[in-house]
Amino acid sequence: MSAHSQPLLQVDGLSVEMDVAAGQLRAVSDVSFEVGSGRTFCLVGESGCGKTMTSLALMQLLPRKARLSARRILFEGRDLARMPPREVARLRGDRMGMIFQDPMTALNPVYTIGDQLAEVYVRHRRASRKQARERAVELLERVGIMSAGQRLAQYPHQLSGGLRQRVMIAMTLMCEPSLVIADEPTTALDVTVQVQILQLLKKLQAEMGMAIILITHNLGVVARMADDVAVMYGGRIVESGSPAQVFGRASHPYTRGLMACMPTRGEAGPGQRLGSIPGTVPSLVGELQGCAFRNRCAHAGDDCGHGVIAMRDAGGGHHYRCVLAAGAESGRHAVQEALQ
Amino acid sequence: MNTVSLDTARPAVAAGKAPVLSVEHLCKTYPVGGGLFKAPRPLRAVDDVCLTVQRGETLGIVGESGSGKTTLSWMMLGLLRPSSGEMAVEGRPIASFDRLEIARKIQPIFQDPYSSLNPRQTIGEIVGAPLAVHRVGDAAQRARLVREIMDKVGLPARFAHAYPSQMSGGQRQRVAIARALVLKPEIVVCDEPTSALDVSVQAQILNLLKDLRQELGLTYVFVSHDLGVVEYISDRVAVMYMGRVVETGKASRLMSAPRHPYTQALMGSILTPDPALGLPELHLGRGFPDPLNAPSGCHFHPRCPEAADICRTTAPSQRHDEQGMVECHLRGGAPAQVISWKTGT
Repeated sequence: MSAHSQPLLQVDGLSVEMDVAAGQLRAVSDVSFEVGSGRTFCLVGESGCGKTMTSLALMQLLPRKARLSARRILFEGRDLARMPPREVARLRGDRMGMIFQDPMTALNPVYTIGDQLAEVYVRHRRASRKQARERAVELLERVGIMSAGQRLAQYPHQLSGGLRQRVMIAMTLMCEPSLVIADEPTTALDVTVQVQILQLLKKLQAEMGMAIILITHNLGVVARMADDVAVMYGGRIVESGSPAQVFGRASHPYTRGLMACMPTRGEAGPGQRLGSIPGTVPSLVGELQGCAFRNRCAHAGDDCGHGVIAMRDAGGGHHYRCVLAAGAESGRHAVQEALQ
Repeated sequence: MNTVSLDTARPAVAAGKAPVLSVEHLCKTYPVGGGLFKAPRPLRAVDDVCLTVQRGETLGIVGESGSGKTTLSWMMLGLLRPSSGEMAVEGRPIASFDRLEIARKIQPIFQDPYSSLNPRQTIGEIVGAPLAVHRVGDAAQRARLVREIMDKVGLPARFAHAYPSQMSGGQRQRVAIARALVLKPEIVVCDEPTSALDVSVQAQILNLLKDLRQELGLTYVFVSHDLGVVEYISDRVAVMYMGRVVETGKASRLMSAPRHPYTQALMGSILTPDPALGLPELHLGRGFPDPLNAPSGCHFHPRCPEAADICRTTAPSQRHDEQGMVECHLRGGAPAQVISWKTGT
């Protein structure tokens, strides 16, 4: 993204806290990132790392018991964090849209496809039903649905998973939003359909110019789709940069561990073992001191247990949150060898 | 190479040892729809499947949702009765086993460790349940066996008194594995055992399954849609499409030189974490055909980039050679076309 133009979305110091029975859970801690117009930004991490909470916070769709705080969330020059909920609701579906993982639960089963598509347009554009229907047919054709006119009268259960996700995408794009948040959009789909849906998203992005925040646990999807990547762990971004930086020169031990966990093609044999990360994700309840990954990290030392670990600059927009620069160096080579 | 043992359709009698599990011309048809004056239509979930599994080997079964891989695995477990066809365990027809006998030979591991464990039982009770059902030993012996198997799958003994809700997904899947192995079965049918797990935990479970196979001499039937995982764990792979097995072969061969156009598309859709590569072009027609109105000829022809006239009219027959089996008019017979799928190194 060019230096002089302002990014489409600037998230600065976003945190989400929730009250649970055991105390206070910090789902997202001080997350900051930028998304440029027409770019694809990927948030990657395992379950419980805070990636979905981050996206829900941007849309202000957090569960009721969650509290959001942020220095600012600038979207198209306006601060979402200070905006009254009704104004944010006006932006949702119009300037920013969301694609959910499971189109079966995200679509309303008792309304036809046509009704659901038209509703967005009628609401935000004050269009007539007829105009909205025409727009719906246009969008369905654009997302590659054949005989779109007839599909309007169908219900979600009459469509296959891939078709439902295409309808979901069409619905999100009805008002040509400048930002689309896609939360695991292909996780529920078959591998061949996954590739087709990702291709569709890329094609539509080229045509309509929207920015995409893609949230996924699938490193393969990230590598093939992202312009910028952020890896989340324990509610924080632990590494960020371009895909080439994050995958080619992974510097945080967690990122490297994730890479080693992926089965590599052509290397399976009776003696072959996957790399794995011992232990499990830490509880985010209560005050967390030091690095959230240190209990699972082979390189962890005394420095890892205090305060908040700062982001380090690896140059060229590549950042990682680890105090072990030397350990990172040696481990990096091991991963690169494993990837060859 | 012994062609017979690699083969799928012919029983491996000539090889001198019977396969531990063999499936011949297995079909499962469900009647769908129908009404007062309308006959139900048949849905062929599994259509004429022939497979053999040798002792100590892992057979991977891959395919998209609706391809029949779960129906097939349920029939192998005796949870579903086949509409037609034969199944034999250690050469003995499966119909001659009673429920308990078959459970001692074949055990399942299911996908979702959240719904496959009883939330009101402790881990010790869950793992020990098969022993109680089969009346193995007395209570003390059963407790010892439970402790042993929990230790083998990496569960600390203190978990015996814990409940599933207190455990993580990976730990629950270890419980499911312990429960499957406590009776010392020959065969374990794993249906998407790592799909519900995070990448880092998936790696732990896959390594564990591989170690246990070695240690206990297990035979796995491993059902998954994740081709990377299947390649990692399997010796041989069968690819299913609309209820039929369309290709079999050694895992390494199938991955490096897939023959059936569908297998090629599947292999092409594996997304390795390589930012230098964009999205692959699959040249596949869109949409999964309606299984109630299966396409004429080869079921794959509406999506096949190479479909010829014969594919639209005539169902292909299986061709066997030393590389395995392929069911395609355009493949087989001649040596396998070597197609290199760049892994990007």
